[in-house]
Amino acid sequence: MGALLTATTSITTTREGQASLPPFASVVEGHKAMVYSIAWQFLHDRVAADELAQDVFLQLHKNWASIQSPAHLLFWLRKVATHRAIDAARKRKSKAETSLEEADEPTVLERVHDSFLASYLKRMVASLPEKQRSVIILRYQEEMELEEIAKVLSMNVSTVKTQISRALELLRGKVSRRLGKENVL
Amino acid sequence: MTPFEEDLKQALKRQEPAGDFTARVLERCAQEDAKKRNGFWHGFWTAPAWRLGAVTAALVLVAGGTAYEQHEREVKREARGMEAKRQLILAMRIAGTKLQEVQQRVKESEQIEQ
Repeated sequence: MGALLTATTSITTTREGQASLPPFASVVEGHKAMVYSIAWQFLHDRVAADELAQDVFLQLHKNWASIQSPAHLLFWLRKVATHRAIDAARKRKSKAETSLEEADEPTVLERVHDSFLASYLKRMVASLPEKQRSVIILRYQEEMELEEIAKVLSMNVSTVKTQISRALELLRGKVSRRLGKENVL
Repeated sequence: MTPFEEDLKQALKRQEPAGDFTARVLERCAQEDAKKRNGFWHGFWTAPAWRLGAVTAALVLVAGGTAYEQHEREVKREARGMEAKRQLILAMRIAGTKLQEVQQRVKESEQIEQ
């Protein structure tokens, strides 16, 4: 691992404008959870998400010379990861997506304890339409601003807002109906 | 942020990939770099003998074909030159004959006048 880190760091040279960029290996280490999680939220398959995340970093390695700053790097990774994940999810649509109505009923345990709300919510997010799922993941997993989401997904800010509020409405309705949560705000 | 949004944020927390993820990415990148460095010529020189033989034969065929085509062009050009020369000589002969006839007629008419 150490040898590999050294090898790839030396391969990935930095240009003058890239002085502030960390070495490639540190970038992978620092952003792997973000890229992997975006992929996982779309695919719900550890192997496929791992593979997709690797592909994103491989693409970054190929395009390393075009990355200008840490902010650009973050934007690039989020954008490429999201678009690749959307494409991959489309290809395996039948597996990944079920409609809100078709989504499984919560188990008894889910009704009992709040920690199960998380797994239920994950399933509900996975069942959202593609656009709504993308904005929800970028907003609540990546905690991105609306403007940033709009840039990554090539949408208007107003569209992002609309998609988020529609998705939240759907999710709230679903959760309150199925988990009997009275205080879903 | 509402409590529901907080729940959502909790539910969508980032997850870590398998422990050797970075190593695997770096290994793939190193492989890609090696592929790029080696490129076409490395592959050519390290190719099995039959592949080198096939490439050499193809080169010989292309070179031979080009030489043959050039030779054919030369032969045709030479033939066209010879034909042009033959036609020129014939034209000069015809012109000479005509000239002789004219001279003969002029002489005859001069003799009649005298």
